[in-house]
Amino acid sequence: MDFSLTAEQQLLRDSLADWLADRYDLARSREAAASETGWQPEVWRSFADDLGILGATLPEEVGGSGGGPVEAMVIAEQLGRALVVEPYVDTVVLGGGVLRRLPGTGDPLEGIVAGSVRIAPALLEPTSGHTAHSVAATARRDGGDWVLTGAKTVVPGVPQATHLLLTARTSGEQRDLDGISLFLLPVDLPGLQVHRYRTIDDRHAADLVLDDVRLPAAALLGEEGRGWTALSPALDEALAALAAEAVGCLRRVLADTVAYSKERRQFGQPIGSFQALQHRMVDMHLEVEQSVAAMYLATLRLGAEPAERARATSAAKVTISRAARFVGQNAVQLHGGMGMTQELAIGHYFKRLTAIEYELGPADHHRARYAALTPTTG
Amino acid sequence: MDLEWSAADLAFRDEVHAFLDERLTPDLRRAGRLMTSVYADHEASMRWQAILHERGWAAPAWPVEYGGCDWTVTQHYLFSRESILAGAPPLSPMGISMVAHVLIEFGTPEQKEFFLPRILTGEVFFCQGYSEPEAGSDLAALSMSAVEDGDDLVCTGSKIWTTHATEANWMFCLVRTSRAAKKQQGITFLLIDMSSPGIEVRPLVMTSGEQIQNQEFFDHVRVPKANVVGEIDDGWTVAKYLLEFERGGSAAAPKLQVMADQVARAAAGQPGPDGGPLLESPAFAAKLADARIRIDVLEVLEFRVLSAAAGGKNPGTASSMLKILGTELSQTLTELLLEAAGPRGRAYQPHATRPGGPLAGFAPPADGYVSGEEWQAVAPLRYFNDRAGTIYAGSNEIQRNILAKAALGL
Ligand SMILES: Cc1cc2nc3c(=O)[nH]c(=O)nc-3n(C[C@H](O)[C@H](O)[C@H](O)COP(=O)(O)OP(=O)(O)OC[C@H]3O[C@@H](n4cnc5c(N)ncnc54)[C@H](O)[C@@H]3O)c2cc1C
Ligand SMILES: Cc1cc2nc3c(=O)[nH]c(=O)nc-3n(C[C@H](O)[C@H](O)[C@H](O)COP(=O)(O)OP(=O)(O)OC[C@H]3O[C@@H](n4cnc5c(N)ncnc54)[C@H](O)[C@@H]3O)c2cc1C
Repeated sequence: MDFSLTAEQQLLRDSLADWLADRYDLARSREAAASETGWQPEVWRSFADDLGILGATLPEEVGGSGGGPVEAMVIAEQLGRALVVEPYVDTVVLGGGVLRRLPGTGDPLEGIVAGSVRIAPALLEPTSGHTAHSVAATARRDGGDWVLTGAKTVVPGVPQATHLLLTARTSGEQRDLDGISLFLLPVDLPGLQVHRYRTIDDRHAADLVLDDVRLPAAALLGEEGRGWTALSPALDEALAALAAEAVGCLRRVLADTVAYSKERRQFGQPIGSFQALQHRMVDMHLEVEQSVAAMYLATLRLGAEPAERARATSAAKVTISRAARFVGQNAVQLHGGMGMTQELAIGHYFKRLTAIEYELGPADHHRARYAALTPTTG
Repeated sequence: MDLEWSAADLAFRDEVHAFLDERLTPDLRRAGRLMTSVYADHEASMRWQAILHERGWAAPAWPVEYGGCDWTVTQHYLFSRESILAGAPPLSPMGISMVAHVLIEFGTPEQKEFFLPRILTGEVFFCQGYSEPEAGSDLAALSMSAVEDGDDLVCTGSKIWTTHATEANWMFCLVRTSRAAKKQQGITFLLIDMSSPGIEVRPLVMTSGEQIQNQEFFDHVRVPKANVVGEIDDGWTVAKYLLEFERGGSAAAPKLQVMADQVARAAAGQPGPDGGPLLESPAFAAKLADARIRIDVLEVLEFRVLSAAAGGKNPGTASSMLKILGTELSQTLTELLLEAAGPRGRAYQPHATRPGGPLAGFAPPADGYVSGEEWQAVAPLRYFNDRAGTIYAGSNEIQRNILAKAALGL
């Protein structure tokens, strides 16, 4: 058993942390997020060219440096700590995770490493809830083409993305794992209706309407109807990375709250001297430490057999969802009126933590998945 | 002992119901239904106040001689409950439910004559200037100074978190008129005309993007001594009297029931983890049932406090208890609504809601597009804004401190 980072991993962590501390200004990034563009393209360029984090977990054949889950964890945690809105997990971990298994045409993985391909996962639908394998959109063959019909909702990262990674059903019922096909398509495809909006966590998303949208045969990734075999492990990888991002946010929020409680004085003393608040902050600390452990659990089990992997990532999501709510809410509470504003970082982190609580499925979903995968012994 | 309404109560309820049915326009109901916080859209709320005033129901809790209603405690309860069930936008509490009671108890005849009728018509709209940057939970540490100069007090300092200060034309506030050994002494309760020279109002942007709270800066603002309520240096007595109305004035259970019903309707139409309706998923159903049980119990607790009040007893520490239970339940229900909203709860679409103030840096889409239904747009904003419930009007930590002392003798 070993929880230590290698020298290279430490270097990756420290150089990224330094760069973000220097160059990723919270106020400026919020301004960019509220604008039409929704992000800072030059940040992404630096991720590709100066920091090399976009290729850190991708194979050397496509220009990456061949790292694995631990590298993704190290990167995602630092991005979470700096509240980076640029779509690392969606593009590199989820998108890259699928494309590593089902390469597609046109070398999209090389594009991800270079920063020129950015992926928006178009999985959820108006009637899917948070269940990614609930797919009602359909794809049918027409001559050499695919024709897609259906709707997708809250597709994250649309103004930044160049491509959509989209699920559509080629056979079976809405919730069947078989019969889901994966397509990679340009986001500006003619005929695709896109309704963009901002999200509560200073990011952007879109609803898509596909009304007989035509795609070339090459848009299909892998085999028809077998998309879930690649999407499922990639989603687990994304869950582990999301846990790491959450840990980055949580650590910062706890540190800010403790610091604030030492500075803010009421009744002639720092509010941190009130035992009621000390115990609350200790409970927050316990939630953060459990989230760190859950992040390791998920990350280090990504290579296990599928049921084991799924149980570990669901356990992590249940833990970080609970922590995101408890730590986020209490950070606001302990900041008093200031916690309700956008003046301090805490307000922005609270919003991101609220989104994380539900992203890739809320706690109840993952409790149900964990229970279903856990044999009952009588 | 029983929990039933009398025939007279039921007749009264029907009368209120018929009135609401007739006078609440669809737009007013919408303004009530799509609220993202405890603050209604100002214009809608004032419109509703005018309609109520016409009927003589704008301030039922006031003594009859000033325009109130000669109702029993039960009737007051039924009126507020029916209004909430019908989706009426709430009236701003600062004038009608707060400072008016202070004026009735401590005001000079001139103050009563000037302010009370104008509060009723909405011509005078009050905001509450208690909190300061360095005096939040520790309200008595407030330091905005008021120095006597002839017939005036000259005020310098800052107030913060003032709800609807941009809409208000008057502020009731606490100022420091002398520095005594005990910080509760030397405070004065003062009414300030917001158009007086020397006042600057700066809106604050909350997490939801809404600008309802403000910070004000007072630079040598002259206020006639005639605007002091009670005695100079004795404002703490007045402020404490008012706090009782702020904390425990009305019953929370009806509003919580409406919220729970809304959660149930929402969850019935959304898919749960197993593909069936979320409302039928065991985990969600259990959480909603638990919230409803807490509401049922809170309602009886509130009835007990109300009937004690009807018997002339001061609610005392019960108001702290009700404040804690009501606000924490409300937060639970906003969590459940956000859960029910599903993935769409992440979309930021305030244009599909009726917030209680303007939005900072938000441009609605040109085509008015809304992802999902309006309640899904309301859900995240209400969740964010409702975090304030455990912070304002004496934070829940402060209420627990009060109960530790007053209820348990610690
Ligand atoms: C099953 C059991 C086995 C034990 N075995 C051993 C043993 O093997 N050897 C041994 O030496 N002792 C043992 N103990 C004794 C144990 O260590 C004491 O019970 C413990 O230290 C608490 O002391 P107390 O019972 O006097 O309670 P108190 O110290 O009087 O505490 C009463 C309550 O007040 C709380 N409290 C006290 N101070 C504070 C504070 N500053 N802030 C907040 N809350 C506070 C406590 O948490 C507790 O809830 C055992 C006790 C039990 C119940
Ligand atoms: C949406 C909103 C609307 C408001 N509207 C108004 C208004 O119209 N007019 C007005 O005057 N004010 C208003 N307020 C201000 C509100 O009353 C204050 O925010 C509140 O009194 C808390 O003060 P604070 O924000 O300075 O927090 P602080 O007092 O700094 O408290 C910070 C944290 O410390 C805790 N704490 C403080 N002291 C203790 C203690 N002794 N023991 C344990 N914990 C403690 C608090 O509970 C809180 O969690 C509003 C606030 C909000 C959020």
